This record gives sequence, C-alpha cells and structure tokens, in this order.
Amino acid sequence: MAFILSFLNKYRTAAVSALVIMLFELTAELIQPYLISKIIDEGIRPQQLSVVWLWGGVLAASALLSFIAGVLSSFFASHASQGFAYDLRDRMYSKVQSFSYSVFDRFAESTLITRLTGDITVLQDMVFMSLRFATRVPLVVTGSVIMALVVNVKLGLFLVVTVPLVLVFAFFMIRATTRQFRRAQRRLDEVNGVIQENLTGIRLIRVFVRMGHEVERFAKVASRLMADTVAALRLTETTTPFILLTINAAVLAVLWYGRLDISSGAATVGETVAVINYSLRVTGALSALSSIMAAYSRSSASAQRVGEVLDTASDELVSGAEEALGKRAPAGPSAIQGRLEFRDVSFRYAGSEVKVLEHISFTAEPGQTIAILGATGSGKSSLVQLIPGLHRPSEGSVLVDGQEVSSLDPSSLRRAIGYVPQEVILFSGSIRGNIAWGREDASLEQIRQAAARAQIHETIEKLPQGYDTLLGQRGINLSGGQKQRLSIARALVREPAILILDDSTSALDMRTEAALLKALEEIACTTLLITQKISSTRSADRILLLDEGRLIASGSHEELLASSPLYRRICESQNQLASDMPASSSADGEEASHVQNLY
Amino acid sequence: MFRTFIEPFRHPYPKFDQTVQAGGTEGAGAAGTGRRRKAKPKNWSAALGRIWLYLAKRRLKLMLVLLMVVFSSALSLLGPYLIGRAIDRYLEGGNDGQWVQFLLGLGLVYLLYSLTSWLQNIWMIEIAQETVFRMRYDLFSHLHRLPIPFFGKRQQGEIMSRLTNDVDNVSSTLNSSAIQLFSSVLILAGTLSVMLFLSPLLTLLTFIVVPLMLLGMRWITRRTGPLYKERQRNLGELNGYIEETLSGQRIVKAFSQEEKVIRGFRERNEAIRDSGFWAQTISGFIPKLMNGLNNLSFAIVAGIGGILAIRGSITVGVIIVFVEYARQFTRPLNDLANQWNTLLSAIAGAERVFEVIDEEAESKDESAAQPVAEVKGAVSFANVDFAYEEDGDTLSDITFDVKPGEMIALVGPTGAGKTTLIQLLSRFYDPTSGVITLDGRDIRSIKRESLRSHMAFVLQDSFLFQGTIRENIRFGRLDATDEEVEEAARLANAHGFITRLPGGYDKMLDVGGGGISQGQKQLLAIARAILSNPALLVLDEATSSIDTVTELKIQEGLQRLMQGRTSFVIAHRLNTIRQADSILVLKEGRLIEQGSHEVLLAKGGFYSSLYYGRTDAEEQDQQ
Repeated sequence: MAFILSFLNKYRTAAVSALVIMLFELTAELIQPYLISKIIDEGIRPQQLSVVWLWGGVLAASALLSFIAGVLSSFFASHASQGFAYDLRDRMYSKVQSFSYSVFDRFAESTLITRLTGDITVLQDMVFMSLRFATRVPLVVTGSVIMALVVNVKLGLFLVVTVPLVLVFAFFMIRATTRQFRRAQRRLDEVNGVIQENLTGIRLIRVFVRMGHEVERFAKVASRLMADTVAALRLTETTTPFILLTINAAVLAVLWYGRLDISSGAATVGETVAVINYSLRVTGALSALSSIMAAYSRSSASAQRVGEVLDTASDELVSGAEEALGKRAPAGPSAIQGRLEFRDVSFRYAGSEVKVLEHISFTAEPGQTIAILGATGSGKSSLVQLIPGLHRPSEGSVLVDGQEVSSLDPSSLRRAIGYVPQEVILFSGSIRGNIAWGREDASLEQIRQAAARAQIHETIEKLPQGYDTLLGQRGINLSGGQKQRLSIARALVREPAILILDDSTSALDMRTEAALLKALEEIACTTLLITQKISSTRSADRILLLDEGRLIASGSHEELLASSPLYRRICESQNQLASDMPASSSADGEEASHVQNLY
Repeated sequence: MFRTFIEPFRHPYPKFDQTVQAGGTEGAGAAGTGRRRKAKPKNWSAALGRIWLYLAKRRLKLMLVLLMVVFSSALSLLGPYLIGRAIDRYLEGGNDGQWVQFLLGLGLVYLLYSLTSWLQNIWMIEIAQETVFRMRYDLFSHLHRLPIPFFGKRQQGEIMSRLTNDVDNVSSTLNSSAIQLFSSVLILAGTLSVMLFLSPLLTLLTFIVVPLMLLGMRWITRRTGPLYKERQRNLGELNGYIEETLSGQRIVKAFSQEEKVIRGFRERNEAIRDSGFWAQTISGFIPKLMNGLNNLSFAIVAGIGGILAIRGSITVGVIIVFVEYARQFTRPLNDLANQWNTLLSAIAGAERVFEVIDEEAESKDESAAQPVAEVKGAVSFANVDFAYEEDGDTLSDITFDVKPGEMIALVGPTGAGKTTLIQLLSRFYDPTSGVITLDGRDIRSIKRESLRSHMAFVLQDSFLFQGTIRENIRFGRLDATDEEVEEAARLANAHGFITRLPGGYDKMLDVGGGGISQGQKQLLAIARAILSNPALLVLDEATSSIDTVTELKIQEGLQRLMQGRTSFVIAHRLNTIRQADSILVLKEGRLIEQGSHEVLLAKGGFYSSLYYGRTDAEEQDQQ
C-alpha cells in the first residue's frame, strides 16, 4: 500500500491543497454549533437583534466560502487522483511490456487486464475519496470533541468518555465484518466457479444426464453463500444502531447535567445545545465509518494485486528489455547472417523442477531449413523461443552468428528474426497494417511481396477493399488458414535472417502448404519449421525429433527413416496417405468462402 | 510551485461528438460503441412485479420490516423534536415537572429507534438473501433445461455476467437501497409535516435552498452525463487495447515492438485521464453543493430563527429542532438521488435475469415417452429433414441404417450438418420431418434422459471439472466403485500416466483440467466414456486438437472404447476413419455419398477429392 501511495508524491501539491481546503471546510462546519450557542446566549436571551444578524451573517458567509472551497478541492482532488491513476497505469503497462515470457505464464492475461483497469480504478477512487471524505471522519470526530470541550468543559467530558468507547467498539466490529466479508467473497467465488464450469461443460453435462447432480451441487454452494452473506451483513447492521444508542445515552447525560449546571449557572442553554449538536455530528460522521472501512479494505486488496505486478523481481525481466524500451530499434538491414547453434542447452521454467529441454545440441548454417517434430509438450515451442531470447536457457548456450544470444542487443537481434507463433495473433486494423506491423517503414511493394510469398496475396486482392480491408470486430473474419498465412506474411516482410514457424501451417491444405514451402526456399534465411506433418519435413536439411525434451534423433528424412523407429511409426501413420496421393485437387475455394462471414 | 498549483485547472476539456452532447440523454449514446452499457430497464413494472413475487414468499416478514421502517422513521423524527421540547420546557423555562420521566421517555425513544432500525435491517437481509438465492437457483436450474443452441448463440461471458453481476446487483440493492428508499420518502414527508406544524414561515425560508439545489444538480448532471459517457468510451477503448496487446504479447516481444505499443497505450491513457478528470471534478461538486446548501439552511434557521425568537413567534427549542431537521431532509433527498440510480440498474439486472428464465426450455418429452432399459444400438434415419428456425442451416432427406456395433464416420466440409445430425440423434433438436429410430423405436417415444443415458460422448475439447481425476472419470457413472474407475482408466490407456502423477487418482485438477496435457485430458474423457458403458458412442472431433504423434498413443484406447458399440465418429483427419464400416459424406445438408473407404475412393466422387485434396485443412465445427 505504501509503495502504491508513493505514486501520489508527484501530485503532493494538489493533494495537500485538497486536504488543507477540507480542513477549512471543516472549520466552517464545526463552528456552527458554537455560533448557534452565541446566538442563543448573546442574541435571543438578551434580545439583541444585531448579534443575531451578525452571527447569522457569519454563518451564511461561511456556508458560501466553504462551498467555493469545496468546488476548488474537487479540482485538486481529482487532479491528484487521476494523475495518480495515469502514472500507475503507465508504470504498470510498461512493466508488463518488460516481462519475459515466463512471467506471462504466472499472470494470466485476464488478471493482468483487471489489474490494469479495475484495480487501478478502485485505487483511484480511494485516493479521491480520501482527499475529500474519508479523512473527514476522524477530523469531524476529534474536532467535535474538542469544540465541545471549548464550549463547556464539563459537558464536553461526556463526549470525551463515550467517543473512545464507541471507537474501540467500531474498530472491533469492522475487523470482524471484514473477516466475514472475506468469507462471503470466497463463497461467491465458489458459486461463480460452479457457474463457469457448468457453462463451459454444459453439453457434456447434458449428454451425460448430470443436470440434477449439478443443480444439487450449485444449491449447496449457493446456500452456503447465502448463510455467510447474511452473517456478514448482520454484523454490519448491528454496528450502527449500537453506536447510535451509546452516543444518544451521552446526549441524555448532557441534558441531565446541563439542566443542573444551568440552574447553578455553570452552563448556559446555548452551551448545552451546542454540546448536544456536537454529539449528533459525531454520530453522523461515525455512521459513514463502516462504508469507508469497507472501501478501504477493498482498495488494499487492489493495491496488493497491483503491487504484485510492479514488484515482479527484475531477474524475471528480459535482459536489457527495460533499457531497450527507451530507444527504437535501429533501422536498416541487420548484419545478422543467420548461423544458429545450440550448445548443450537445457531449459526449465522458473519455479519448476521439470526440465522442458535437456542437453540439446545442433547447428544450422545460414539458409538451411531445420524441421522440428515431436508430440505436444515435447519442448518444441520452448526451443525456438530461446532463439529471440524470449526465454533464457538454464544451462548451455544458444549462439547466433557465433555470439551468445544474451550478449546481443535484444531489439537488433529480434529485428533479424521473423517469428510466427503457434496461435495466430492479429490486431484490429487493416490487413496492410497487420502485415506491416512488424516493420513500419515497409513499402506497399514489400508488403505485397511478403503476402505473395505467404500465399495470401491473391485472397487479399479478391477482398472488397484489398489490402485496406479491416480485420476484427468491425471488419471481416478470416478463416484459420488465412490468418496463419497473414501472420506468416507479417514475419516475411521483415526480411528476416532467421524465420521461425511454430506449427504455422496446420490449417493449410497440402497444395497451399507445398507452395508456401517452395516460396520459402527462395528466401535466403535460416528456417526453423515446427510441424506435425511428414510432408513438410521431407525437404528439410535436417529434422530434429524431440521427445519429452530430449533430442532423440536428428538427420535428414532418409537418415531418420533408417535410424529412428518412432520416426518410422509417425511416417507410417501418415505415409499411406502420402503414397496414394495423386496430383492434388483444390479445396481452397471453400476456405476462401469463409471470408464472406462478416460480423 | 505556482505552476504545479494551477495545474489542476489546465486540463483540456474533452471534445466530444456534438450530437452526443446536444442530444443530452440516452438516445444519442445508444448509437455509440459503449460495449457494456448499463441498460435502463425496458419494462420495469413487469420486472418489479417479478421481484415482488419472489419477495412475497416471505410476505409476513416483509410486512414486519415495513412496519419497523415506519416505526424507525417516526422515532427518528421524534428524537430531535423531544430535544427541542426539553430545551423549551426544562432548560429555558426552568419547569421541573416530570423531568426524570421525560428523560426516561427520551431514552426509550432512543432505545426503540436503535431496536427498530436494527430489526428492519436484519430481517430485510434475510429476505433479500433468500430471494437472491432463489433467483440464482431458478436461473441456474433453468439453464440446464434450455436447449443447447441457446448457448451457441450467446457468448459464455454474457450468460456468466447475468448469473453473477446482475444477480449481485439485485442482491446489494435489496439489502439496503430498497429500505433506504422507502424510509427516505417517509422521513422526508414526516420532516416536512412537523416543520410546517412548528413554524410555516421558517419552513418556507428553509425550503429556499430546494430550488437552488435543483438548479445546481441540473447544471452538474447536464455536464457529467456526456462526460461519463465519454469516459466510458475511453475506458472501453483502453480495455480493448490492453486486451489486444496483452493477448498478442508474444508477438510484441518477438517483434521487439514494446515501445510502439506503449506509445499507443499512453495516448489512450491520456484520453481517459482527461475525461476522467472532468467527470470526477464536476460530479464531485454534488456533495459540496449539498453540504453548502445544508450550511446555508443552517444559517437561515439560526439567523432568521433567532430574529423570530426575539420577536417571540418561535422558541429556541424550535430553532434546535429545525437545525436537526434541516440536516435530515437534505440527506434523504441526496439518498433518493443516489439510490434511484442503483435501483434502476438493479431492476435492469433483474430484467436480464428474467429474460433467461423466460427463455423457452427444451421441449418436454411426449407424454407417451418411456424410458428404455436396454439398447442394442441399431440406428436408422428415414427421410429426415431439419431446419433451424432462424437460418438456412439444414439437413434434408437423410436416410441411412446402422447395425448394432458398427462404426460410422461422418465426413464433410464445415457447416455440412455433421454435428446437427448427432444433435438430432441425441434429441437436442427434433427433425422437422422424417423419423429416427433406435432399435426400431421412434426416439421421440423414448424419454430424453433415458435416451442420452445410453449414449456417451468424447468431444474435441474434453471438459474436465475442478476435482480429482477419480471424480472426473466417475462423472461417467456416478455410482461406479473405485475399482471400476481404475478398470476404465486401464482400458483407456490412462492408468499409466495417472499413477505416475503426484497424487495419482486423487490429484486435483484445476478448472479446465490445467496441469495435464491435451492428450491426457482426452484419455480421461475416453475412460469416462468407457465407464458409462453406453450402447451408442459419439466421437466428435475427439482427436482433432491432438497432434499426430500423441494421437498414435490414444488410438488404442479409442479402439477399445468403440469395441461392441455403435459409434459415430466425426473427424477431419480422414486417415483416422479408414476402418469405418460405413462413411457418410455430407455436403450442404445432404447425404451425397455412403459406403466404405475403399468403395468411396473407387467411386472417385466428393469423398475421394476431400481425401486427396485437403485431409486436414478443415476448420473445426463451431457448434
């Protein structure tokens, strides 16, 4: 929390101004009962009209002044809180951008989004509220007690006795209710969990006829939620009536002793009235206490979640990424040739015992194509992600052009790499923008060439707005194969020295894939091709066969057929297909028809 | 120093679409892009009536609550009034009669006030939470009666939000706002009457602040309306941007484009800061306005009241009563304004909940429908036609026969109707015309639940519940013993990997089955299907999200599962269905070819072109 609040430091002038103005407003309010005692004792009782006019006028003027002050404080408080939120969001987003891949495995995307928006909004509201209302409560309470003492020491003492009592009680109740609410919140999470599960598995539940079972399960968690919510709310609702009762008892005492003192001359009517008025103000302020405490505990949970992101240890950040943020990637063709070497590389994710890769060694000369084959979870994706330095090897070294990847400037290294990830990621915007996304200075000619090589140029030309067609929510929806080819074009437009295709042709039909592979051969770049299909490993210079993180075989198609039983089995399962393949016929027309699906 | 001091006043006022600003309220905004706008209730008397039906189940208690609200409102008025009397009669007047009794009476008023307001809240909470529980329960159990296409048409998040946010909204409103609204009205009316009774002149003067308040509020809300809309728009844009760039994070990093996305983020962040600043500042005037007017009415009561007191037309006690009351009546006004909005949004939420409850449930079983005890597995479709209500996605004239224990493959492009065909068989829909029979019986004469209990499904994305592996397998047959569960796992080739996991069969799986691989999930789904021992088996793209190498490992389990059962297999990798007894080739809702792999290849028709042309290019079925 303290760390989060340090973001307020930059806006301390505005924050302090807001607080000072609030003190001023408060003074205007707290002086009211005092002035009313003056009106009664010095105006009404001695029948002094001018005194009433005087103090009445002062009251009216102070009302106006405090209103103006309040309007001003709104500017200061909201400047401070909005600026605070802006800085916090900015800092957090930049931090997130500097995360390495492994951190992303820890923070799910959805939680990062809520932390960046929902949680920061909660904190911002808390700051705004603190600067204007929350700090009022303790100030009104202490101010009222002090003013009561100023008006009449003896009568004021009743407040001095009761208020701490009430405060202690309120403190314990709030602690108890927070605990209860946390429990209720957990119950709510349980209920929502069951709902989520049921919605996801609804078809399965239906076909296995488990509706009754699930409804029963839901009723169980939902009734637990009900019980705990009732318990928590019951506690909250008990607090206020009890506090009221206690302070009202003090009012009764003030009335009793006030009357005695008035007759003995130790107090005046106005003084008694003022002390009663101060007591009532204390109750007013305290009744807001529980909601403020609830808001505060909510915001401290948010602060913790935001803090978790900002506190992520620096060794989990990509080396140099933080510094690289400040400068642009150098323009111009990169000097990297594309020679790649893995030297006895092992890798495991931070905090995990299991080695994803074990003792991998191989070399790729510039221009060679390396196919990587293996089951899901055999470490293929982790292996290629070591090349742009998205992960760092736990042991051994990865070398590009003979230099350790970790010693290279990440942005100039990555400039030389075209990476097509397994899951297709496109951004909203035009097709052209998406292809040029990786290279802002690309000319239309270069974009077209990349698209042609990725076998998507013709499809794009057929679209109503060609390269300016919009994608996503407001644009068209491409088929999986078209999206894959588009993301390949995005990698190709960078004219990379190293091209990484992580199972990026899975949704392409054989003919298109063959054409794509042929086009790739014409480009002089080192290509790493993760694939499931024997048809695309055949033409590779070398095939790496991975199983559970180990390189169990490596060599050309023919060599592996001879030496690796697993490779032979994979071939056999696909081979029958390949062997009775005539010249392929086209089914691409059907895929293109997906384009018509407009949102 | 000075510059930082005036900084708050130099924020640019956001420029927004003139139409939005001029149009004022809802109409213009509706055309905007606001994604999760809080809709105003469309027909709120209907929604209120429905909520009342829920509340009415606890009518007696509710009446008691209302009674308590009346009492506590009256007592809250009585307190200040009695203090005024005490000042006039005992403090000022020096009257000494019955002072002790008077104080005891006042004490009793205070006690009863605390007691009644406590009771009203406690009871209301119980009623509210019971109501919410029942709404939740009704909604949830209704979900399980809705036809499956309902879920296809809607985003899961949207349904989820009705079950969670909307219900929570109703919950918190019923807890407090409902009572507060009612007591605000009572207190307002009561205060006004007592004030008029005590001094009409002073009442009138106090009420000078009301038109001021209305004017001020109008000035403020006119500005905040469009500002909040603008802020909401900016927030939506920021959220969208974060969502997009974070889900594309791998690409951002690999392409070294961090700086570019941070630049884009800053622009949106600034926009939201500026609109947020003005929205917050101006709406922040509201409490200050209320406070200022409170203070003003205080000054009026004290000043003018003082003059009136000197003239002798009112007493000091009346002034004190007025001071307290004047504070009390702006508060309910403020509350009314606040609660009104939450009430509206809660009603809108309730409306969305009722919308789901009102969705038509899966049609009831025909009255003559019977359960079936044993099924051999002969299936036949005779001239089956089917059309969805809204779109042209159809099946027409489907006829085929399946003998018990045969393996049938369904093949065809996306949208050809493969999944629909299965949904007809499992009676998620009924055919528009034609008859489907199981062992010679029209399936409409079989109870749905009974029919489905003889079927088992292995779907593309086999869903696993949060729970142990054992529980997840047992989902196939709830009364299965541990031995039977393990036996099923053995047959499915899952036993080996389960025992190697830390915790074995008792390993807890997260929602969605995190912690084990896709292939292992499928093995568990197969074990689950084996355990349920169905006569009919449906494998809907069961291996399509698995790579070919993993598939090799799963095939064996699948073969054992299919043994001796009639099975329907939808697959886009045609090499996996070569051994099917019969392949049904669907295209645009028609059964165009039918026969074994060899027969169809020899025929050289659509199947053979699919087989040679694109064996695995097909998109996954969405249904």
